[in-house]
This record gives sequence, structure tokens and C-alpha cells, in this order.
Amino acid sequence: MVDNGLVPLPRKERLILELLASDGPMYGLQLVEQSDGSLKRGTVYVTLGRMEAKGLVESQQEPVPPGGIGLPRRIYRPTALGERMLRACAAFARELAWEIKT
Amino acid sequence: MTGSTSSPRVPGTTLLKIARRLFNENLLSAVVQPTIADLQREIADAGPNGVKRLRAQWRGYCAFWTLTLVAPFASWASPSADAGGVAFPDAIARLAVGSIVVAMLAIVGPVLGAWVAVVTAAGALFAILIHAWYDRHPSDIPTPAEPQRRSPQINFSSTEVAGNIGGLIFVVGSVFIVAVGLPSVIWFLFAATVAGCFLAWALVAWHRSHPKYGLPENRIVLR
Repeated sequence: MVDNGLVPLPRKERLILELLASDGPMYGLQLVEQSDGSLKRGTVYVTLGRMEAKGLVESQQEPVPPGGIGLPRRIYRPTALGERMLRACAAFARELAWEIKT
Repeated sequence: MTGSTSSPRVPGTTLLKIARRLFNENLLSAVVQPTIADLQREIADAGPNGVKRLRAQWRGYCAFWTLTLVAPFASWASPSADAGGVAFPDAIARLAVGSIVVAMLAIVGPVLGAWVAVVTAAGALFAILIHAWYDRHPSDIPTPAEPQRRSPQINFSSTEVAGNIGGLIFVVGSVFIVAVGLPSVIWFLFAATVAGCFLAWALVAWHRSHPKYGLPENRIVLR
């Protein structure tokens, strides 16, 4: 994808949307592992929280099994708006690449 | 969140306690708790292997402290995000103010001497005390319920003056008042009167040569 700052979606948000769209709903830690170092553990939830506030992703707490300890994790999935945004960004990047080529 | 987190044996409990003191509820639920949940899950997945557990702990703690630095500046996490506010919890704000005061003392002390440093510290402390007092005892600043009254300044710019004897009396009276009130500018009034006469003559001459130009909107009617 063309990374030129013109696409109206930050790089990390676009990457998260791409991962969620291609691999399905994921936990934050899974996103970090799948991103090959592009996403960091300390900031991935800040980015996800911002995206949730924008309406690009939605999250749900995992059910805690009886007797389970610790905090429940959150699983993230793209919203319809997020998927549309991703498609729009991809189309924009394709068009821009075509214009640059010609 | 589960009730079982109150157990001291659950990893991340201390971090959660620290986070509760530092962050608001939005940040806590959206950012901090998932990070600690990841830490707990990784430690649980590591099983009895000490090295793996240590590595998981190290990663989790690093992630927590990184987000502690980053999260306060996440504007979406503030309850007042709609107003463009920044989620800056009180504890971190106090920490920032304290750091600034200490930095000021460190800079000012050696350069300007101990007395200035003490005065600076006292001023900063006093400001913090006043701020804290007003936070607890907010005062209502009186604001006028009615629209603000017009300024009493003399301003003729928006006064409509007709081109008749009434207008002439108004202008002469105004000039007289200014001349009496400010005798030092009489020379300016004389010069302005002469210049005004020339301007009036020029306008009359121009309107005679262009009799139809701008008449509907023009307030000056030539007779």
C-alpha cells in the first residue's frame, strides 16, 4: 500500500484494520504478534481505544470461565465503518499509484 | 473485571492498583486492563517454566510503563474529549507540576542564588495551594445577565447626519465641544475644516458632472 500520508487513516490504524479484516477478530496481543513488530504492546491498546472511539473497531470482553483468575481480555473486530474505511483507503492508494505510474 | 483480582497472588494486581490512582475510568477499561490481562495470560501460558514467566513479566511490565507514559495524552480517553480536552489525570498533572518546580529550582538556584530559589519555590507552592483551595471552594464569578452596555466613548462614525441645516448645527456643535475640551488640537480642527471644505467642493463638482451616479443609495442629496 502506498504510504504517503495522503491516505486519511494513520498507518497503524490501517494495519490493524487490515489484520482484523484478513484474519478475523483478534486480541490485542495477537495483533502485536501478527504485525511483525509494527505494533507495540505498550501502545496497541491506545491505538485500539482511539479506533474504537472513532467507530472503526468494536471490542468485547472475553467470557471468564468459572474459577478463572485475572482480568478478562478484549477481543477486537472491525465495524462496518472500519471495513468501508479500509476499502476506501485501498481504492485511494490504488488510484494514486496508478496516477503516479501514468 | 473479576473479583478474583483482589488476590495478591494474581500477577498485575499491584499494577492495577497503581493504574487506578493514575488513570480515569475510560483509560482504565480501554487501555490498562487489557494490557494487564495480556500480562496475566502470558504468565499463565508460561506455566511453571521460570525463564518464560520472567520474560512474560518483563514484557508485561514494560508494556504497562510504556502505556503509563503514552496513555495520558490520548485525547479520546478523556470524559471531556468532545471539548478537545486531554486525559490528564490529577496525579500525573501533580507529578508534572512537581517536576517543573524541581527543574525550575535546579536551574534558578545555582544561577540566581538561594534567595531567588526560595522565593520561586514559595511562589510555586503558594500558587499550588491557591489552585487546590479554589478547586475545593469554587467561586461563582459574577457575569452580567444583560447584554454588555455600550461603551461611553464618543464615536461619530455611525451617526447619521443629513446634509441640511440640522446636520450643519450638529457638526459645528461637535467641533465646538471638541475645541473647548481639547484646546491643543484647535489647529487640527481648523486644518480639517479647510480640508473638509475643499473635499465638499470636490464632491459637489463631481456629482454635478455625474448627476445620476449613486443617487439611490447616496444620503447626500444635492439641491
